[in-house]
Amino acid sequence: MIKLVGVSKQYSKQSVGVEDIHLSVDAGEFVSIVGQSGTGKTTLAKLLIAEERPSKGRIEIGGWDITHISQGDIPLLRRQIGVIFQDFKLLPNKTVFENVAFALHVAGERASRVKEVVPLVLEIVGLGHKMRSLPTELSGGEQQRVAIARSLVHRPKILVADEPTGNLDTVNTQEIIEILKKINEFGTTIVLVTHNREVVNQLKKRVITLQNGRIISDEHIGKYRL
Amino acid sequence: MISFFRVIKFAFLDIGRNLSLAFMTVLILVLMMLSVNALLVVRYLTNQSIAYVKDQIDVSVYFDPEAKDEKVNEVKTYISAFPEVTNIQYIDRATVLQNFKEKHADNKEILSSIDELGVNPLGPTMIIKTREPSDYQKIIKALSVPEYDSVIQSKTFADTEAAIKKIDTITNRVEQLSFVLTVLFALIAFLVIFNTIRVAIFTQRTEISIKKLVGATNWFIRGPYVIEALLFSAVAVVVTYALVYFSSKFLDQYLVVIFGPTSTLLGYFQTNMVMLLGVQFVAVFLLTLFTSLLAMRKYLKV
Repeated sequence: MIKLVGVSKQYSKQSVGVEDIHLSVDAGEFVSIVGQSGTGKTTLAKLLIAEERPSKGRIEIGGWDITHISQGDIPLLRRQIGVIFQDFKLLPNKTVFENVAFALHVAGERASRVKEVVPLVLEIVGLGHKMRSLPTELSGGEQQRVAIARSLVHRPKILVADEPTGNLDTVNTQEIIEILKKINEFGTTIVLVTHNREVVNQLKKRVITLQNGRIISDEHIGKYRL
Repeated sequence: MISFFRVIKFAFLDIGRNLSLAFMTVLILVLMMLSVNALLVVRYLTNQSIAYVKDQIDVSVYFDPEAKDEKVNEVKTYISAFPEVTNIQYIDRATVLQNFKEKHADNKEILSSIDELGVNPLGPTMIIKTREPSDYQKIIKALSVPEYDSVIQSKTFADTEAAIKKIDTITNRVEQLSFVLTVLFALIAFLVIFNTIRVAIFTQRTEISIKKLVGATNWFIRGPYVIEALLFSAVAVVVTYALVYFSSKFLDQYLVVIFGPTSTLLGYFQTNMVMLLGVQFVAVFLLTLFTSLLAMRKYLKV
């Protein structure tokens, strides 16, 4: 599903994002990418959604070589990969419904389908009753659930979660992880970028550890070792 | 087509939810357009004043009382042939005498001297007007030929030559100054609008990048801003012209006293409305559009 072959990202002579990454993730896997701050975890996530271009190597998503993806094709890629971020990245002037619907609007989905799908997805993340609220009226955990709902409306094959619990307390963290596990059970490949030791250890899934931009370990049922 | 309607819907939603920002943007556009239009008013008034002053200048040619009609007509035909000449007023001897008497009605000595003479001592007069004050020199030169020495007694231009030259210099300077001011105001307006739009886009930079990360194409993101630029420009032009209309109406009651009822400010704006509205709308729309697209470019690189 995801294949990285010898991928490096160098920002400048002194600043290296990731270096010589060889990685393969199968469909339906739940992979945690861990490492200390500045080790290249977010760079890796950005490479997967073409927010950054690799300096070297090749990246394939679902058999699509996105190494030299054109500007025009980037929106198409992003409609196939769900992404959630630490800072939620919700549109502040749009309601919960509109935030989720926006992901369908950009793809040109019909209004009738938007009206049908959005409430359904919001029900899945437990926010069916807050469709008309603005993001500012929600708690951090609720905002992240809206972001998850938005990433799910396309029924993506891959979900990239970049530090999704970084701004949340323990209870909300647990809720978000449970939702991610459920999504994974339905067959979506999850790439979770985190430095939350408890989350990683509790998941008992594949763990890839980064240090100084390189993979130093890749365990199929791994633990947070740093 | 669905996306096109959505873009329009999003534009209206954005305006509705950012009313204060929309209001401020339109206000800045209106203020800038008002300043440009105020300068247009100044230019109009300057041109009217210059035309008024120029209209007051003429050259009077006094013919000898003995000058034969054929010779006077020859001079008239000769002068009429000059493209610089806009008007020639011929005053015959009798009218000249009558005007003279009216002018000196309270001076009995002059009137009795005229009566004593028994004949009309005054020759006919020709009043010549040209397009520009500078053209008078050419006309005077054309008349100062030995051929007409015997028929032309005197010309008034020599007396007013210095004044005309001064007026000519002043009007040229005023025209240049008003042009420079127009360019300067237009430049200031351009910079203020440019920065206003840039700041407006800057406040929405996070939203722009989020939309991009969610999978929106560049045009889906730009679309609402294009519609907003169109709406803001249209509203700003309408508001500006409403203000210009009422201001002109107010000012005209004072200007009519100076320039007469034929040349009003309102008349100027009404005659040139389509051109002024069109040019200003297109200029403001293109400027807001160009600026917003330029300012957005950086945030679309996500």
